[in-house]
Amino acid sequence: MRLTYRTLISTLAVAAFLAVWELAPRIGAVDATFTSRPSRVLAAGLDIVATGGFLNDVSVSLAEFAIGFGLAIVIGVPLGLLLGRFPVLRHLLDPPIMAIYSTPHLALLPIIVVWLGIGMQSKIAVAFVGGVIPILVNAAAGVRGIERSWIVAARSFCANRWDVFVKVILPGSLPGVILGVRLGLSRAVLGVVVGEMYQSQAGLGNKVMRYGSEFRTDYLLFYVLLISLFSLAATTAVRTLEEKLWAAGK
Amino acid sequence: MGSWKMKPVALGLASFLIILLAWESVVRLGWINPFFISQPSAVAATLGRAARSGELGRNLAVSLREFAVGYGLSVILGILAGACAGRFRTVEYALDPFLWFLYSAPLIAFYPVFVLWFGLGVPTVIALAFLLSFPQIAASTLNGFRNVSPGLIRAARSFGATEKDLLWKVALPASVPMVIAGLRLGIGRALMGVVVGELFGSTAGLGYSISYYGGLLKTTDLIASLIVIVTLGVLCTQGLSALEARFDSWRVED
Repeated sequence: MRLTYRTLISTLAVAAFLAVWELAPRIGAVDATFTSRPSRVLAAGLDIVATGGFLNDVSVSLAEFAIGFGLAIVIGVPLGLLLGRFPVLRHLLDPPIMAIYSTPHLALLPIIVVWLGIGMQSKIAVAFVGGVIPILVNAAAGVRGIERSWIVAARSFCANRWDVFVKVILPGSLPGVILGVRLGLSRAVLGVVVGEMYQSQAGLGNKVMRYGSEFRTDYLLFYVLLISLFSLAATTAVRTLEEKLWAAGK
Repeated sequence: MGSWKMKPVALGLASFLIILLAWESVVRLGWINPFFISQPSAVAATLGRAARSGELGRNLAVSLREFAVGYGLSVILGILAGACAGRFRTVEYALDPFLWFLYSAPLIAFYPVFVLWFGLGVPTVIALAFLLSFPQIAASTLNGFRNVSPGLIRAARSFGATEKDLLWKVALPASVPMVIAGLRLGIGRALMGVVVGELFGSTAGLGYSISYYGGLLKTTDLIASLIVIVTLGVLCTQGLSALEARFDSWRVED
């Protein structure tokens, strides 16, 4: 019962927002050049999808994201597990990692462009830097959150180091790893998009900046909403995985 | 006791020293061209020069002002929105889809729209800083209000607390740690908004200076500004963490 009331209110709120957005420019309360309208954004979307080049932008952005974020997982998870397992290593690397974590990672864009140019490599690098830090930190926290008694118990049943790692540390740290992946994901998406907005030759962020400078708000908003939708969908997918994992763990 | 606590600090300091030494040596030994990574001694000299000439102070002042206005707005409005949503279910349900969207969408992509609305420069940077940190603060405040222990409320009720007492004496103090956690996370996002906003279009500020020197390929000046931003981020986050620890100290583990 409560859930349906919740859905009703949420749907009404979104519908009201869309209605105001559609009607305010129509009755002349605001200038549609600045706000556009939902119907015009939709029309722009159809136009963009129908004309060529759209798929190229999507595939460039997706490739940058997949490679950068994939690298972040492949490097971040093992490194995080190591940091969680060995306190000396952690104390040594914690301060620089925390310094990078509290810094806006997009501030690295200009120097990454100096190093790697304006092609895909620089976006891959920014997505990697954005993704790897939360993954690393949360994987390490996941290892540290494991009950010491489990490790001791495994040891007393003659488990060797490798057994302890595969059978206790790896599954035990999974919640932390997944949390890190979820937090890193949105930072990686942001890295790709803002990297493309900053300096690029193709990709969704490139189009956002181009249509912005041409004052074509409807086209611009379609791209922005598309990117947001992707980010939402990917985050929701990881969150669902996370909840399934928690449920399975209990 | 002392050595226990000193060990992480010593290792942490050692790690920064090792990084600086390695960085300086690879350049001195000629393994990496200083054009790409500069070197610590040159960066320090540049920082000193920028501090004396007043350039550093000017950029810092511009960025800090934008940060203060944007972040300040989102602290006020975020706590207000979060508290309203935490108090009234209907408000929560109405705000929920928007907060969820703002929280997980890459909001910086809206930058060109802001430029259309507010013009290039300071107002757009402030809007970006506000929009990035607001959902974080609102969501944390809402969570704080939601997760007030029912036991506390029952106890207050049975001692004859009114609704007003509940708000001021139970819900508000109990949600303070969550609110402060939100404020801490919001700082990073507001700082991100300031830096990126300045990166794209402005005439002053730390983000502007890294972008400007990046365009000129002056790596040393770029890294000097970057180090100021890193320091700022660390100081703000550490400060709020300390505050958080203080406000959370009354809580007992259950």
